[in-house]
Amino acid sequence: MSLLKTEGLSKHFGGVAAVDGAAFEVRQGEILGLIGPNGSGKTTALNMLSGFLPPDTGKVWLADQDVTGLSPVQLARRGLLRMFQMTRVFTRISTLDNLLTAGMAMGLSEAEAEKRAASLLEELTLSHVQYLDAGQLSGGQRKLLEFGMCFIEAPRIALLDEPFAAVHPVMRETMAGFIRRRHAQGQTFLLVSHDMPIVVDLCARAVCMNAGRVIAMGAMREVLENRAVIEAYLGSGSDG
Amino acid sequence: MIAPHGRPKARSAPGRRNLWVNRLRTDMRAALVVLALLALVPLVVTSPYTLGILIISIYFAMLALGWNLLAGFTGQFSLAPAAFAMLGAYTTALLDFHLKVPLAIGIPCAIVATGLIGWLLGRVVLRLRGPYLALTTLSFAEIARVVIGNSIEFTRGDQGLNVPTLFQSRVGYYYLFLAVLTFTLIGLYLLLRGRTGRFWLAIRDDATGAESRGIDVVRYKTWAFALSCAICGIAGSLYGTFSQLVSPELGLLAQTGIVISMVVIGGMGTLTGSIVGALLVYLASEWMRDFGGVQMIVFATVVIIFARFIRTGLWGMAQRLLATADKPANAREELP
Repeated sequence: MSLLKTEGLSKHFGGVAAVDGAAFEVRQGEILGLIGPNGSGKTTALNMLSGFLPPDTGKVWLADQDVTGLSPVQLARRGLLRMFQMTRVFTRISTLDNLLTAGMAMGLSEAEAEKRAASLLEELTLSHVQYLDAGQLSGGQRKLLEFGMCFIEAPRIALLDEPFAAVHPVMRETMAGFIRRRHAQGQTFLLVSHDMPIVVDLCARAVCMNAGRVIAMGAMREVLENRAVIEAYLGSGSDG
Repeated sequence: MIAPHGRPKARSAPGRRNLWVNRLRTDMRAALVVLALLALVPLVVTSPYTLGILIISIYFAMLALGWNLLAGFTGQFSLAPAAFAMLGAYTTALLDFHLKVPLAIGIPCAIVATGLIGWLLGRVVLRLRGPYLALTTLSFAEIARVVIGNSIEFTRGDQGLNVPTLFQSRVGYYYLFLAVLTFTLIGLYLLLRGRTGRFWLAIRDDATGAESRGIDVVRYKTWAFALSCAICGIAGSLYGTFSQLVSPELGLLAQTGIVISMVVIGGMGTLTGSIVGALLVYLASEWMRDFGGVQMIVFATVVIIFARFIRTGLWGMAQRLLATADKPANAREELP
């Protein structure tokens, strides 16, 4: 059963088609990898799915409900949350306060948010920095914090934009472990990443975009062996 | 002790006192101490002149609190606090002048009117940030001042309007201003302590991030704008009845500049900083009046120094000193 589905999704900036008629679906409980070379339109697609950019054309459905053009706030309240490539945490309040704010934004009481925050801090190995302002955290710790903020109230679907980029390998494994555990509990993810080993490890299915179009979709192995995907990554002269 | 990922545990890391509720509680307690000290002043100061200076300092403290709510807690840099004080003063004055509306109704009307105009302005500037927001609010402030100054038949223009007084007693006015400041402070504390305050801080730090977490940025920004303007409005309305004259000069940009100086010196995003900054700057400005135009040079220099070297203002400095004084005790606690 598809949880998130798009059809004919397009976005043009001037004369450039950043996304051109993209159509794919994320099934309930899966981790779908959204891959493609730089400039292929992955982040623009994610921006449209999460309400930060209105699509020029096309539709988005979340659990069979048309959510095209809804604001990020409306989508967050329907359980579609996202993480950004450039982390977005609240830098002048503490790590714990970031989690409490995220929890209260999702309607939790302060006490409940504090309880969940304690367990997330433990799981994400952030307990020792919980009282530090988020602005004092390292890049990797901020990514982990953003994971925590996203999952303080489990979303229906989490859109992750390059969560592993420029992160220490130990922290990368912490994040991957976090995703695996949540996936085992039935959580649905759409994962945008250039880190192919982790994408291959985490995702059973993938969608590959190039020049704004979906060029391949299906089981991970099929996508990786697809000629158009190989050409997109390696260039058209990659016969041998 | 080694933390995960091989990072040594930060010995200088702040403890629970760095949590927002604890920081705010400390800030509020310090502000209440300042207000308690202010409440004792009329017991020792009887000079009507000095009390008058203190009343105007408290008026500026209200403007500073209102502006700090917007700039310090929500991250919206407005250049219109003095304009809203002027609008509040004129609302009460015009209702009295044209309709003979008593002050008991005229003053609440000033709160409602400035809150409403602030809400509308907040909707207009919703998507603006930085210099664009500052310029738009500055334009609004100047338009309001020029319109009031030129509507001679309605407002008597630069001549200003006479406003009836609430009390003859300066002490009575002093305690009225202090009571309104205390009420404003407590109201802001309660808002900042709860969900609304947390969302304002989130918007200040990263509006896009706040939106992605499900915080209704439009609603909370507009609400902050309306509340900030209403605080400036009541301050202006009370000031009008105290001085018994309102004129467009109340809305001069220089007045806004003084309010910003007060907050920068006292501490952006703090309650105590707004009050202490207002008291220090206004009292110092009165003290330096004898030296002619030197006061503006001194304030400009002090603001530059604070903006460059002491971004957290006096309240931030005080907190750092307290933390340093606490450190030996904490260090002892960490020893095995």
